Amino acid sequence: MNDSSPEKDVSFFRPRGATMRGEIRVITLILAGWLIAIIGSQIFIYLLEVTYSALLLDDLTFFNLPIHFWLTGQFLPLWFIILCILFNVWMDRHAASASSLDGSLRFRVRPASGEDE
Amino acid sequence: MEYTSIRVLPLAIVVALFAVFIISGLRHRAGTTSDYGLSGVYTGRIGIGAAIASNWMSAASFLGLAGMFYLKGYYAMAFVLGWTGGYVLLLVLMATQIRRFGKFSASDFIGFRYESDAARTLAAVILIIITIIYSVAQFRGIALLVSWLFDIAYVPAVIVGALLLVSFVVVSGTLGATRNQQLQYFVLITTFILPLMYLTRKLGYFWILPQFGYGAAIDVLYKQFGFAWSEPFCNTTLFQWLALCFSLMFGTAGLPHVLSRFYAVPGIRDARWGVVWGLFFIALIYWSAPAYGVLARLFEAQNNIPFNAGDNSAADMVVLTAAGLGGLPVWLIGLLAAGGMSAAFSASAALLLSGAASFSYDIYPRLIRPDASERDKIFAAKGFFLIMAVVVTVLTLKPWGMIAEIAAFAFALAGNTIFPAFLLGIWWYRANSAGVISGMLTGMVISFAPLLQHDALPFISQLFPVTSSAFIGAPLVMIVMVVVSKLTAPPSEEMRRFLARDVHDCPES
Repeated sequence: MNDSSPEKDVSFFRPRGATMRGEIRVITLILAGWLIAIIGSQIFIYLLEVTYSALLLDDLTFFNLPIHFWLTGQFLPLWFIILCILFNVWMDRHAASASSLDGSLRFRVRPASGEDE
Repeated sequence: MEYTSIRVLPLAIVVALFAVFIISGLRHRAGTTSDYGLSGVYTGRIGIGAAIASNWMSAASFLGLAGMFYLKGYYAMAFVLGWTGGYVLLLVLMATQIRRFGKFSASDFIGFRYESDAARTLAAVILIIITIIYSVAQFRGIALLVSWLFDIAYVPAVIVGALLLVSFVVVSGTLGATRNQQLQYFVLITTFILPLMYLTRKLGYFWILPQFGYGAAIDVLYKQFGFAWSEPFCNTTLFQWLALCFSLMFGTAGLPHVLSRFYAVPGIRDARWGVVWGLFFIALIYWSAPAYGVLARLFEAQNNIPFNAGDNSAADMVVLTAAGLGGLPVWLIGLLAAGGMSAAFSASAALLLSGAASFSYDIYPRLIRPDASERDKIFAAKGFFLIMAVVVTVLTLKPWGMIAEIAAFAFALAGNTIFPAFLLGIWWYRANSAGVISGMLTGMVISFAPLLQHDALPFISQLFPVTSSAFIGAPLVMIVMVVVSKLTAPPSEEMRRFLARDVHDCPES
């Protein structure tokens, strides 16, 4: 059994090479933005509910909707789309620069046909 | 509510729509098992996005979500978030890497990554179970619509609906028609949003964006009828809400027909941007779905119709209730019904075909007939499709919840089994076959425990609710996978090298 080959042993917490480290960094940031938005918004809504009266929560409207409906039902799906766009833009830009620097497999981009990267 | 006089036209619209789908699909021919439910035709990133969204849209999205809003108010927002937020997980943690593995199905991926036929077979069995559960939700939606269209009781409607679905798949298959997913998405979004615009315009609300306009109905419900939507956590705890939300997210990133979108796309960049477009197209539906639930409550209140919290069937049909009570023209109600039928048909057909393909690829030639030819596999796929259709029909006769709840159970199972297997398989070199088999079996136990123990151990039902068990279940399964993998032999050097070099693009030392 060979369990000690560090050059082959990669994981999320043990990235190797600049490419993977950069990717893990951006994934961590995106997931942090994802998690904080979900948990934070619900704790905020929960605190609004327990702190203020139902009437106030109903009166707090944004774009015609009660604040909790707008925040969870409208804003967060939009936030997820924004996070996905940010991730893709980063990946594309990083791909373009990395392909000229290290010639790695991942960053061979053929944008015209979109057939490979 | 009387619909009898308006059912002929809706029925004609439904039939016409399906005829259009078949005609548009005739350009492409299905000949091999890989065409039999797993592949598709893509035109650019927006096309991939439309295919992802069309594949995703089901009776749960079209009918079930509005029903949940109607019955449970803010709790249903967990579905909106769960079914959109899961795509972030999918994109950043899995989409690119899945494409790099170059496999064609979830079980293919698991068999290859974990170098184990047993893991592959177990994954195939789990995928088939997920398919069956998810299809029950779709069949329920079909049955309710058939019941409404033909004015027949639920049980005969289940059987008629199942026969219609099988006939549709057989006719499409015989003619060689494949799904035109872009067209299908366009139809779904139009048939969902157009009636909503009409309803909000009729009420004098902001109809150009009915996704915001329906807020006025919430205000009217509260001020005129004393019905409050303003206490989001009055009937559910924060834990229950978050458990459902995260369970659906984990399930989204583990559902076979969602993952299958990434095996077939032509390039990695296309796969990534396709997810963004797909998420946008999906969000368009989810931004709109709450409006139907709210408007149905408003129309019922205005017509002095008492709210019946125990009628799941009525809640699942609330989209059509809102359309009927809101005085929509018959042709528009027909379009809405056609959209719902299309969503349920396409989702269940795709799932059952994918389950059949899984059987014919992963189980039949490995366990039943090792020397099976391509022709035998196609025959086995067709036979298994029919068997699954019968099983799903029987289960749909006595469904255990609303459409969205049944779908959520399938998501929880996917989140407890397939999601951890993919996540650790991609991101941890040390995950091995013993780990993944133990993990998937644990995930199965966690998913079914709350159903089987009948409240004998109340803490099980509280920690692992049937619809939300993956919130705690998925991390638990990952812990099991880590412990078992650490205690057993690591994957081969070739696999570890493949993971480092080809999947994560680490430089050779």
